[in-house]
Amino acid sequence: MNHLTRNRFLLAAAISVSLALGGCAATPESPEGATEVRNKLNALKNDPDLANRTRVELRAAEQAVELAEKPLPAEQSDLGEHRVYMADRKVEIARARATALHAEAQRERLSQERDEARLAARTSEVERAREDARSARDEAEAARTSETESAATAAAERQRMAEETQRMAEEMQQEMDDLKAEVTDRGLVLTLGDVLFATGSADLQSGANSNLDKLVTFLNEHPERKVLVEGHTDNVGGEELNQRLSRQRAEAVRNYLTEKGIAAERLSAEGIGMDRPVADNSTRTGRQQNRRVEIIIGNTQSAPAAGGSR
Amino acid sequence: MNQLSMDKVSQRVRLYSSLFLMLFLLGACASPPPVPPNDALLAARDAIVTAEQSGARQFAGSELDEARQQLSKAEEAVSNENMELAERHAYQARVSAELAAAKTEASKAVAINREMKEGAEALTEEMRRKGEQQ
Repeated sequence: MNHLTRNRFLLAAAISVSLALGGCAATPESPEGATEVRNKLNALKNDPDLANRTRVELRAAEQAVELAEKPLPAEQSDLGEHRVYMADRKVEIARARATALHAEAQRERLSQERDEARLAARTSEVERAREDARSARDEAEAARTSETESAATAAAERQRMAEETQRMAEEMQQEMDDLKAEVTDRGLVLTLGDVLFATGSADLQSGANSNLDKLVTFLNEHPERKVLVEGHTDNVGGEELNQRLSRQRAEAVRNYLTEKGIAAERLSAEGIGMDRPVADNSTRTGRQQNRRVEIIIGNTQSAPAAGGSR
Repeated sequence: MNQLSMDKVSQRVRLYSSLFLMLFLLGACASPPPVPPNDALLAARDAIVTAEQSGARQFAGSELDEARQQLSKAEEAVSNENMELAERHAYQARVSAELAAAKTEASKAVAINREMKEGAEALTEEMRRKGEQQ
């Protein structure tokens, strides 16, 4: 009798346990959409331009896809949906990141092409000026020999003008070299390093002035050019502080230029903060390169565009 | 008599232990206690702000909208005390916002390249024309 009740009890317990477990795991199946996400990931991995660019994001995507592929019982289809959603987005993130890195890798080549085009343009301009000067000189000679007085003066005038153009082209180049300015798509960019300012201060240090005075000379000689002064910082000390400091520094440079007689309406100042580093903020030299003031001199009469590349 | 009471006791023990076992097993299936998934919600909001600041409104509008919708679904689930669902939506909001930011960066990078390419081509073209004029 005792034996019988025990057997019955064991049977009941076994049934209840198996029922309870059954609640957790019914016939498992891979969630809907998991295959598509896997295909998407494989397509990204097989893209020769994009594969091998983003190790971190790709690994995160791989893990998410593996999780999404895990079989789940039918009652948990919403969890499966969630996992597929996450995996899909992570694959997309990896693709976007890879696209950005691919574009950056291409940029070096593009910038080289642009420099070559610029160099070719400048060379041919100088060539042309020289050519003009030579032909004007020849004409002047010819006119002199034929003793046509007026033609000679006209030719001499042309020669003088052609030589002037050539001289101006060369002078311009020289001035740009003096300023150590860089030609970019935003205009001439002159970068002043962080030696201009003491740490955390927006007051100009006196050593900075020689470089700035060269800029003043340049601006006085080219009164049609407008200038944008941009302050940049490294990432030490928080966004808000850096934003403020960079603006104050840009304004300090602008004030200096106004004091030296550059019309205020030609100048604008902007604080960029830590948003546009040119070097790695994790090293000391990188941070020093990022603490800078950029002076963008417009190519034409229009003001230089804020924002721009980088 | 003594034998009988011993049997009764051991039956009780079995009953309680089997009840306890069932409760424990059921507990393994039950949802977590209703505490809002604050970390996940915070991370989602942060990610949305970051995406907005990077300019996602312009470059990845639909992804940003999706992130916002997921966040409001998460908030709705919190007010319905369905915290598991809230957490899922919060995660989905975050990943969508991160995608918006990533797409924005990619679009910007591609746009810069296009500009650079066009600039170089325009310059070459201009030089070619000037050369022809001479």
